[in-house]
Parts: sequence; C-alpha cells; structure tokens
Amino acid sequence: MPPSFASIDESCDEAGILGNLMNTKTMLVNETEDLPGDFAIWIFILAEMLVFGVMFIVYAFARSNQIEVFNESQLTLSRAMGTLNTIILITSSYFVVRAVSAIKSGNSRQSAHWLLGTIFLGGMFVAVKLWEFNEKFSAGITLETNDFYMFYLTLTFFHLMHVLMGMIILACIVYKLKNGDYSAKEHFGVETGASFWHMVDLLWIILFPLIYIIR
Amino acid sequence: MNKQLNRFATIIWLALVILTIGTFLIGEEVTAGKTVMLSVLLISLIKGQLIANYFMGLRHVSWLWRGIILGYFVIVGGMIAIAYLN
Repeated sequence: MPPSFASIDESCDEAGILGNLMNTKTMLVNETEDLPGDFAIWIFILAEMLVFGVMFIVYAFARSNQIEVFNESQLTLSRAMGTLNTIILITSSYFVVRAVSAIKSGNSRQSAHWLLGTIFLGGMFVAVKLWEFNEKFSAGITLETNDFYMFYLTLTFFHLMHVLMGMIILACIVYKLKNGDYSAKEHFGVETGASFWHMVDLLWIILFPLIYIIR
Repeated sequence: MNKQLNRFATIIWLALVILTIGTFLIGEEVTAGKTVMLSVLLISLIKGQLIANYFMGLRHVSWLWRGIILGYFVIVGGMIAIAYLN
C-alpha cells in the first residue's frame, strides 16, 4: 500500500529534524578546533611557562625575607620604560594576530608586512631594555649588588633572549612568506611562530608588574 | 568576516593598552599595599586571559588548554600573593 501524503510529510519532518540535529552536532564538533600551529610548540610553551613560573614564585618568596632591600631597589627602576616595553610587546602581539589573519585570507605580502612590523617592535623592546641595562651598569649595579638586582637582571635578560629568539623565528617566517611557501590553506608555520611570540608577551604580562610595580 | 575579526582584535589590543596604563598609574600614584598588589595581579590575570583566548586563539580549542593557561595565572599569581601577604 503506497504511503499517504500525510505520512510522507511526517517522514520529511523527521528527516528535517534529524538533519538539523546533525547540523548542530557538526557545528558543535567544529567549534573545538586544533591548537594553532605545531603541537610541539605548545609543549615547548608549557615548559617555558613552567620555568618562568617557578622563577616568579622564587622571586616573590625571596623578597619576603628582604622586603626593604627589594622595595628600595625596585624604586630605582624606570616604571615608565617598563610600561613602554609592555605596550610595545602588546602591540607586537596584535601585529602577529593581523599577520595570521592576512595569511588566512591568502595575502602573504600583507602578512609579511605585519611580521616585519612585529620584528621592528621587537627591536624597539630590545633597545629599551639595553638602555635600562646600560643605565644600571653605569651606576655600578651588577648581579652581586643585592638579591633584587640579581633577580631583575637574570629574569629580564632571560626574557630578552626569548624576544631575540622570537625575532629570529619571525624573520625566518617572513623569508618563507616572501618565497611563497605559505598560503591560505597552508600556514601552519606562521601560526607556530605566532604562538611562540604570544608566549613571550604572556610571560612579560607577569614579569612587568612583579619586577616594576608590586611592592 | 575577516574584517570583523580584525576589528575585534583591535578592541582587545586597546583593552590591553588601557589595562597596562592602569597598572602604571597604580604603580605611580598609589602607595604600596595588599589591595594594590591584589589589584595589579588581577589585572595581569585579565590581560593573560585576553592574550591567550583572543590573540593566541585558544577560545576555539579544547577547554583543557584554556584551563591550563587560566590555572597557570591563578597558581603563579596566587603563590606570589601568598608570598607578599606573609
């Protein structure tokens, strides 16, 4: 016996609901994407964050034994320069976001320009930091002056090395972008380099208030 | 779509700059104290979340990764706070 029009309508309705449910499920699955860039860089990022995290905590507890020494020494730092460097790093991270966005749209030339801007800002960060170091060394301050300066010089120098490493990584990505190695479909390397640069920014977000502001 | 995302990233950048200037002003204007220390750490936590979720793109990935970054800021910030409160 052939199905009635009513039963065909019901079947269509069921198919429609099922279809909608499947679409919703697909959307939910798509909402959770893979980590941007190479998974290995995320392991590296976690390891770096762990090392810095331990150093931040050691600094805080070392300070609790010599609060006056730490507070007096901290006041000799230029908070304005620390703030300037924070804004420089935040802006460089924003440039990296724009570079990733550009390559996702297939615009490798624009992506390279944003990354060159990031490298330039990285250079500014290095220049400000070297000016700060020079000021301290000129005043006769060294690693051995006191525990605050030992932490200040060690932590910020260690972080500076990461900024320099990030600049080298980004320069390699710019070179590859200029060679046409990345596209809207294949931009894994750009995302990997971007993630590393954001980590450098993320670490400074704690380092800046810890060393320059909180007392 | 891309223009919208870029505009959103610009808003996040602006928020980060404002929070940074806020941190600087707290350091310059307000005398040291527990409230100041906790406020500055809270600002750092907010900034960290903005960078991780919107600049690093973690808001699209598994909650586990967002949880790790949030947990990192809470644990490290919390330990710093404990050391300063002692």
